[in-house]
Amino acid sequence: MAKEFVVRRPLPEFGLWEKMADGRAVFSFDLEATARCNLDCRHCYINRPAGDRAARKRELGVDEIGRIGAEAAALGAVWCLLTGGEPLLRPDFFDLYQALLSKGLLISLFTNATLVSDEHVRFFKKFPPRDIEVTVYGVTRETYERVTRTPGSFDAFLRGLDRLLAGGITVRLKAMALRSNKHELAAIGDFCRARTKDYYRFDPQLHLRFDRDESRNTLIRAERLSPREVVRLERADPERFGALEAACDEILPAPAAEGARVPECRHIFRCGVGQRSFVVGPEGHLRPCLSLSHPDFLYDLRTGSLAAAWTGFLPAVLRRESDKREYLEKCGRCPIVNLCLWCPAHAYLETGELDLPVEEFCRVAEARAEGLKSG
Amino acid sequence: MTGKIELGRAYRPSDDVVVREIEGEIVIVPLTSGIGDLEDELLTLNETGRAIWARLDGSRPLAAVVAELESEYEDAEGEVRVDVVGFVQELYDRRMIVEKS
Repeated sequence: MAKEFVVRRPLPEFGLWEKMADGRAVFSFDLEATARCNLDCRHCYINRPAGDRAARKRELGVDEIGRIGAEAAALGAVWCLLTGGEPLLRPDFFDLYQALLSKGLLISLFTNATLVSDEHVRFFKKFPPRDIEVTVYGVTRETYERVTRTPGSFDAFLRGLDRLLAGGITVRLKAMALRSNKHELAAIGDFCRARTKDYYRFDPQLHLRFDRDESRNTLIRAERLSPREVVRLERADPERFGALEAACDEILPAPAAEGARVPECRHIFRCGVGQRSFVVGPEGHLRPCLSLSHPDFLYDLRTGSLAAAWTGFLPAVLRRESDKREYLEKCGRCPIVNLCLWCPAHAYLETGELDLPVEEFCRVAEARAEGLKSG
Repeated sequence: MTGKIELGRAYRPSDDVVVREIEGEIVIVPLTSGIGDLEDELLTLNETGRAIWARLDGSRPLAAVVAELESEYEDAEGEVRVDVVGFVQELYDRRMIVEKS
């Protein structure tokens, strides 16, 4: 008999990954516990007011969340990301967290930290999540609250974050790169690195609203950085730039081959969406990815099973092809498509169509390609 | 919870862990803190660990588990007993199993 029976295996070495690489299998899912949030960030694509009673009434209950968690675990899900809106707004947060944890799911939590109380910290110490991700919108009151548009939120954020860190909870920090906080991004990076040992990243990509609220979309567009600004930020981040370079080895045409025709691709989903994960919205609608809000890609888990959604619905809808000339001649043949923010989900949010090019995304991809070429 | 396990007692999985079979692997997921510092790790069982774990269902004393495995593994040198007791003690120390009351 072997002497070692329990194997402590680092997650990246877990044999499951190799097995999953052989075929389509559930690894993780995101659960949006609520679309409501106590903040009102300029760039947010989903938030409803914290006191929106109609939205609250439509949210999944703890029993429903437990059932979805059990179905996901039965399909092999290892990981659940609990997100929102702001999940801690839910008065039954502890119950819904335990409803998922008790199925043997590893839990990650996204929160703005402003509502973290000592009771939360005691709970997380007893039932630890794998990690908690907190977004840092600014490191001064002026910048933070310019983004969140919520007076008092900066102090609440600092208090909540300090509570988590003092409690020894694993926290990862991140930032959104916005027009409103661009001047502070370097300081945000320093703030994050000073508080967490291994993690800091920023995201320059701002989705438009799921509810297509034009006044809010105007705010979001105003927060977007220019393509050149995005590239400058990426070049200043060796890890991020290295990842882009690695992806580009296979994408950018070699000099001799420039001008050669790139094979046309009619499929609009080319990112592996729906192969390892899915998202469940606050009202129980499964969708293939976080950004995809098109009604053709929503499956109501209140009336159907997760297994049926995973084995029947998703593979069918993700085979969608395009016959639109604009798409086929542009995105369908684009050699730098992997540098692009384009995907059907973002195209839908930007244009109302799943398969139309988005000129602004082309500019970002071109700026990235230029940046990579100039080394 | 610490202490020495006894061959005359039966043990069962703790309520503080969930044991799942995922893609053919047995994965032990702690629900509460103190069962393992597992920030970036998962606990899995190898084949022998699985054979032992499957018998820790509270239905029989540990001595019976040892006897079953000794017969299954044709052990002449008493290694099975040492290994099983060592493994079960480790599980008990980690609070993954508890004594059947």
